[in-house]
Amino acid sequence: MATDNSATRWVGPLLAALLALCVGSCGFNESNVAAGNRDGVFHFGNGTEPQSIDPHVMSGSPEVNIARALFEGLVTRHPHTMEMVPGVAERWDISEDGKVYTFYLNPRARWSNRDPVTAEDFRWSLHRSLHPQLGNQLAYTLFGIVGAQDFATGRNTDPESVGIDVLDDLTLRIRLNNPDPYFLSTMGTYPTYPVHRATVEAHGQWTDRFAQWTRVGNFVGNGPFVLSEWKLNRRLVVTRSETYWDREKVTLNAVVFHPIESATAEEKMFRAGQLHFTQLVPLSKIPGYQAMDNSPYQQHRWQGTYFLQLNVRRDPLDDKRVRQALALATDRQKIVNTVLLKTEVPNSALVPVNTPGYQSPPAPDYDPQRARQLLAAAGYPGGEGWPGMEFVFNTSENHRKIAVVLQQMWQEALGISITLANQEWKVYLDTINEGDYTLSRMGWIASNLDPATYLNIFTSESGINRTGFSNARYDEIMLELAPAEADPEKRNALMREAEAILLEEVPLLPLYTYNSKHLVQPSVKGAPPNVLDVQNYKYISLDPAIPVWKGEG
Amino acid sequence: MTTEVITDITEAEQGSSLWHDAWLRLRKNKLALFGGITLILFVIIAILTPWIAPYSYETQNLDLGATPPSAAHWLGTDIFGRDLLTQIMYGGRISLAVGFVATSVALIIGISWGAVAGYVGGRVDAAMMRFVDILYALPFMIFIVLLMVVFGRNILLLFLAIGAVEWLTMARIMRSQVQQLRQQEFVEAAISLGLPPSTIIRRHLIPNALGPIIVYTTLTIPSVMLLEAFLSFLGLGIQPPQTSWGLLISYGAETMEEFPWLLIFPGLALTLTLFSLNFLGDGLRDALDVRRSKD
Repeated sequence: MATDNSATRWVGPLLAALLALCVGSCGFNESNVAAGNRDGVFHFGNGTEPQSIDPHVMSGSPEVNIARALFEGLVTRHPHTMEMVPGVAERWDISEDGKVYTFYLNPRARWSNRDPVTAEDFRWSLHRSLHPQLGNQLAYTLFGIVGAQDFATGRNTDPESVGIDVLDDLTLRIRLNNPDPYFLSTMGTYPTYPVHRATVEAHGQWTDRFAQWTRVGNFVGNGPFVLSEWKLNRRLVVTRSETYWDREKVTLNAVVFHPIESATAEEKMFRAGQLHFTQLVPLSKIPGYQAMDNSPYQQHRWQGTYFLQLNVRRDPLDDKRVRQALALATDRQKIVNTVLLKTEVPNSALVPVNTPGYQSPPAPDYDPQRARQLLAAAGYPGGEGWPGMEFVFNTSENHRKIAVVLQQMWQEALGISITLANQEWKVYLDTINEGDYTLSRMGWIASNLDPATYLNIFTSESGINRTGFSNARYDEIMLELAPAEADPEKRNALMREAEAILLEEVPLLPLYTYNSKHLVQPSVKGAPPNVLDVQNYKYISLDPAIPVWKGEG
Repeated sequence: MTTEVITDITEAEQGSSLWHDAWLRLRKNKLALFGGITLILFVIIAILTPWIAPYSYETQNLDLGATPPSAAHWLGTDIFGRDLLTQIMYGGRISLAVGFVATSVALIIGISWGAVAGYVGGRVDAAMMRFVDILYALPFMIFIVLLMVVFGRNILLLFLAIGAVEWLTMARIMRSQVQQLRQQEFVEAAISLGLPPSTIIRRHLIPNALGPIIVYTTLTIPSVMLLEAFLSFLGLGIQPPQTSWGLLISYGAETMEEFPWLLIFPGLALTLTLFSLNFLGDGLRDALDVRRSKD
């Protein structure tokens, strides 16, 4: 899971211009992509500078992109079929009742210092990932394991109480509270990645968030690549591991992660042949790319929802009718078709559209007439007496566009005015985590296809439910009934009921389901777009025979 | 013979005050005149905007989107389908106001501070200038951000905050000018005549230091306008749907390849204003230079 932080920076155009200048004047130099195609070096645009490469500390996409190269979980997802395939575990058993998972580790699995990867490594790492003093924001994704929640919240300080058992060096058993059809995919996510105990302990406490073990020279990992260079705000380089068990399959010699925050700068670099793969594509450039023959532009439905968070504790949003009125006065289709240039899919529910096996309950259509009635019933007929409201969003071109459109849309439909305020990403996170807002935006990207990933956000026990929404029936379904339900049909029905409560109470106002958008050099093979937008560098290769794409004209 | 000369001098002294002379000289300077007229025109347009703007500045036409200049929209529309001419007119109100108000604040503080320090000299001068040095050392962006965070977002406060950090250079220039002028005979004469320091500063020192001050002012106004755009972009200045030239330019720059008019026209408005200011400033400096012989 990762939060969406696509901050466009003021320096972007300037940087891009400087870069274009350099590319023009140093034209005799071979481009990154041409050299990379020949030498097997993959140049990857990675958004921002990673905060950490410790898999139990990270939570953002740029960090996770790097962790996938440096570590490997028990299982991993095949980027083409989206199936869970062997990682460190060569096979696994699931008990009849679906509550006990036994993983059999590959005896050839090695750390980058040639130590064998053992079941104890995983047990220790999972304890670390759950440890309350480490403060892993994603510890809750492991709460399906017996005793994990109590340990992670400090109710039980004994790690032995967690249902993770080492049967022998290469056999790990994990016990769950309830059968969970998505548990296997959880074991492929970064909060479950193993870290090397001796290395971590050599550089501090095991619960230190920012210790030196993640530095070049100290670092030990078990993934297909190892850390070889990390220049702050310039690049992070990983090179092919000599000890990785499946190293024959790895064809890339290195991956270079370029931290480029501005989509505009990234696109310019791509056109100059400096990147194989971009993290973002500037919205205004998309129609041009779509119209091209042999376009490097890749767009694919993504398991992510863009929504507004409504603080139900704040006036005037503490009145359900006001929240419903806002939802009814929001013309999603229009927003997507105009300012977003049809690059996203309108969604009036929380769970992304086309989630396999799940259908969100129907939400009321755009209906400004009904919205006006509701607002009048709430005491603001035609916007009279409206106390005003501030919409906070993190600084980004796209968020600003959406905010400006909503501001005017609600002004016209309801006669109410809202003010806009943008904040820098980290300030913004503080603001919403403290609940110090009336209306804000959020994007939520899932790392699996389980609808519960989304619905769990709004339980009253969730740390990321920043709206103050709390509903007894909703909690009952999402915390007790749905997790215990083994029949997928009945489980889905329960979740539909829960989602219907959300649509009725409107603590969130969904706008659209994301599409992932990348520019990819034609020489890149084995990186197909997929619904989770994950790439496994192990399967990626570069074809030196294919020339560098540098744009037309 | 002697009487004739005396009459001549009397006539000359009566016929031309400092300002009258300056105006005569300025009138001959075509570029300066053009700058002045353009500026006055812009200010009039800015004042009258609410009555003469062709469209509402907030009404969107999403289905229309960004369109190049046409008969209906002379300068085209932005991505929200809003008329760009209207946006520029409303943006000009904010940009010109920020430019003039913040610069005036900087001028008033800077000139009085620098003149006093330069005239009094000694320990007072040292203390006052060290204070300026300390403020210089503060990262001024952080200072403004802090002001905006503590006192909340408010356009008037934004003007004052920008002005409050822009006066430092002005104070230094003023001080050096005053120190130089103090040594001159006419100031010494004024002192020996027993004029109070405030009168000397007002009547003799400031008018004689006007040249560099005006030049620096014309440089301050554009930098203040750009500072406002930067602050607004960070979310500390003006928020949509209000706009300013700086903001229009920064938005336009993002889509300059697809919708070049969104960058070109606001850019033209700002450039024209800055050129006019510079021409006028140059002209005024020449016109007000009292050390030039009266011809």
